[in-house]
Amino acid sequence: MREQVVMVGDDLPLVGVLTEPDPEKMSAPDTAVILLNSGVIHRVGSCRLSVTLGRNLSERAGLATFRFDFSGIGDSEARRGTLTAAQAAVEEVQEVMDYLNQWKQFDRFILYGLCSGAFASYRTALSDERVIGTVQLDGYCYQTWKSYMLHYAPRVLSPARWYQFVLRKLGLIKLRKGAEVSGIEERYFEVPNFAGYPPRQEVKQGLRELNDRGLSMLYVFFGNEYYKYQKQFEDCFKPVVFGDNLTVIHYPHATHILSEPEDRKAVVESISDWAQDLIKRTQRPFRNGSETGYRVSLCASNETPD
Amino acid sequence: MRRLAVNLSQLGYSVLRFDYRGTGDSAGDLTGVTADDWVEDVEYAIQEAVDMAAVPKVALIGLRLGALVAAKAAKNNNQVSRLLMWDPIVDGSSYLHDIRSTVLEAQNQGSRSRILEPDGTLHFNGFSMPVPFQETLSNLRLNDLATTVSVPIAQIVSHETEAFTSLSYQLSERTDFYYELAPAPHDWNYVDHVGGILWPKPVIDAIATYFDRRGVNA
Repeated sequence: MREQVVMVGDDLPLVGVLTEPDPEKMSAPDTAVILLNSGVIHRVGSCRLSVTLGRNLSERAGLATFRFDFSGIGDSEARRGTLTAAQAAVEEVQEVMDYLNQWKQFDRFILYGLCSGAFASYRTALSDERVIGTVQLDGYCYQTWKSYMLHYAPRVLSPARWYQFVLRKLGLIKLRKGAEVSGIEERYFEVPNFAGYPPRQEVKQGLRELNDRGLSMLYVFFGNEYYKYQKQFEDCFKPVVFGDNLTVIHYPHATHILSEPEDRKAVVESISDWAQDLIKRTQRPFRNGSETGYRVSLCASNETPD
Repeated sequence: MRRLAVNLSQLGYSVLRFDYRGTGDSAGDLTGVTADDWVEDVEYAIQEAVDMAAVPKVALIGLRLGALVAAKAAKNNNQVSRLLMWDPIVDGSSYLHDIRSTVLEAQNQGSRSRILEPDGTLHFNGFSMPVPFQETLSNLRLNDLATTVSVPIAQIVSHETEAFTSLSYQLSERTDFYYELAPAPHDWNYVDHVGGILWPKPVIDAIATYFDRRGVNA
């Protein structure tokens, strides 16, 4: 495995780290995995998840990975413009794909992201057909009647909850929010709004489009308040029939930032396994250039070889 | 730290930021890593900065545990010009005790973070510290180290604690010691589940001002 720092773009470059497997271990010389920021967390990822995942994908799945900082995050300088952070993210991922294509001849990409990074991977996939797969950790999903039941039924049946409810209504206790919980004054606290949700119908239409295109999607959901059962994603976006395009994994005890080591290990291995399987299913024949490492794709088709 | 580096570079300083081995973008994980390894990493970084920036000496800036490690590295290193400690961990042993207490308290509140058995590795909020690191960290105390550092020392803190006061009191006899309180957020254990971050601007400004007053060649 080899890692190098890369700066994408001449003016106000995006800073990232390219991880490449040893040449004999490379499973797909035409495919790279791009790991996106979560919120304002830099490219190392929450609890070093992006570094761990990037290296694991390289060592275990034989894939090149690129983790980088969006403009204004981590080591990448802020860029001025009129785009929202969500719009700029798509443009910057495409800029990175262009760069990796020109430099290393990668022309197929798997996008990975947690939370707002997942949202960015979804939006980029909609805009760019070079994306053959997305790995979305706590990506877009909405409540279903079953998730409402699973969320509220225990509360309705809990005497302790009713007791708290009455005390709140009587003004005897108060829910703490924001700075009251963190103890940090707002002026010292920066939470950009990266994680807004579009309407469900819009996402459903987008997913239908991606599904029809044959995009492979791995969704991993953790133990948040809104994802309550394994099939919630599919129920949420009915009548879209995802079939083999979709894999959903639910870790109900894992935290949103994967703070526990065994959760991180399980998620990293799941993603690596999924990526290996995706590469096997979609591999195109290739050969390596002999001296410069320049790679020539022999087949432009996206069909699975026999 | 990047913001601080940018501000210092605008004052004319070349600045090197790096991740200790087993952290951030640097190689490996923390298995078998000790606090002494991190001191060694600082020494490598000093040499790298000297070589890359073509300067005879470098100043060390350490935040929290980084200040404790930097103090150890500054001792007897003739390529260090000064040491600046930001909210330093004053005693490695007490720091470990505090982490263990916090883990136990969090467990009582339902957190799954815990001291992993049987090897004793500490895991909390996604960070881990193996036993060899804990053992070597326990031996580090700023009150002992700082007195052996021969270069000017600055202590800039975001809040007041007994440990900070004790250290500054001990160092105040030195004519080359500088102390400043720059009130700012300092809950370094705070983990935000929606990506919120601390922005301790007053301390960053205070450090930049400290270096600005002394000039690039000081």
